[in-house]
Amino acid sequence: MDELRPLSLLCEVTYRCNLQCPYCYNPLALRDYRDELTTEQWTDVLRQAADLGVLQAHFSGGEPTLRADLATMVAAASRAGLYTNLITQGTFLDDAPLDRLLESGLDHIQISIQAPQTEPADRIAGAAVHARKLDAVQRVRGRNVALTLNCVLHRLNHDAIEGVIALAEQLGVARLELANVQFYGWAYRNRLALMPTRRQVDRGEAIVAAARERLRGTMDIIYVLPDYFDEFPKPCMNGWGRQFMTVTPNGYLLPCPAATSITALTFDNVRDRPLAEIWYISDAFQRYRGTHWMPEPCRSCARREIDWGGCRCQAFLITGNAGATDPVCSLSADHPKVVGLREVADDAELVARRA
Amino acid sequence: MNTARPTLAKGVKLRHDRDGSVILLVPEGALVLNRTAAVALELVNGKRSIEEIAEAVVEQFEVSPRRAKTDLTELFERLKARGFIQWTS
Repeated sequence: MDELRPLSLLCEVTYRCNLQCPYCYNPLALRDYRDELTTEQWTDVLRQAADLGVLQAHFSGGEPTLRADLATMVAAASRAGLYTNLITQGTFLDDAPLDRLLESGLDHIQISIQAPQTEPADRIAGAAVHARKLDAVQRVRGRNVALTLNCVLHRLNHDAIEGVIALAEQLGVARLELANVQFYGWAYRNRLALMPTRRQVDRGEAIVAAARERLRGTMDIIYVLPDYFDEFPKPCMNGWGRQFMTVTPNGYLLPCPAATSITALTFDNVRDRPLAEIWYISDAFQRYRGTHWMPEPCRSCARREIDWGGCRCQAFLITGNAGATDPVCSLSADHPKVVGLREVADDAELVARRA
Repeated sequence: MNTARPTLAKGVKLRHDRDGSVILLVPEGALVLNRTAAVALELVNGKRSIEEIAEAVVEQFEVSPRRAKTDLTELFERLKARGFIQWTS
């Protein structure tokens, strides 16, 4: 495929949400995003994305189903030839809205749960919603659309990982994503309370490995590794500005959904510039694209085109310099800071996500 | 196994890209197919057996029938393990 082309567009259609999950990666300043793009603007963004070569559109948020025009956006994406994916917490997926989405051509739905049991799931979500989520899973299971069950793992639910797998089996789910929390936005704010322990991380990996073996061919388990425990950083977004674009509810085009945390960068808005221009020539997209910006130890590293220097947002959050090697890398001079962040505090305050 | 009839699972789609490549679109990802896999997956419809798909591959590529069957069985097993295809009976 073409050398430089976006493949995936994440549409964060709203940051409104009826849940208050403390592990949310959305920005803290949720009120700054209330001037949401209109239906016509989203439709236009999706068409431009397809013209640029994007293959998949992911609708997320916030809770995307809070946009009454979501089905219209999905239909626009489908018409443009895009594969469409809905990332939802499922509390509003009643029969009628679900059928409207499927009639609009929706290809895949990801529903997230907070834990396998009502308590503590509802406590983590900050609302009594677990039962409604399970109803939504059943409704989707009964229809002709692919489904992934998702659970974000952190210290408060990591010990229930077998329970999540058992629940997925019981629900007959063919695809389960177990994603260790990534520390951005609200999750970064709450990291001391959410950080899994080393024991949890090791135990989780063993349980997932065994479950994958046992469920091979029945259930595909995707395991997103915990960020602060690895020797090398994740290839965040497969490299800055290489494959992924995110549009915020108010129209900013970002190389990654957490990029607004890099306060040293200025981003362009789809209301002001065409997507192609922002993707190919804007300062923010070009700044950390490829390998030209890399400092040592990345510059001469054999892994520089494997992990692409890791995550720019993480580098900024932890070192104050978005152009530094991701400090998760054991070769980074700042790595001791990450080791320090693996600490947990049993009395850490947990701030509920709220606007 | 060679009489198994593969079909694309829900949420899995074949797409012809503008640059001529054939892509398997799957939930939250995409796989660029090599030419043999592309030809084979084009023929997947829940009615053709792997045997029949292998015959078509042999017609288009310089490959022995035996090799084609082995390769395709392996390909479909891999896709099955990820839940991207199912067997119909």
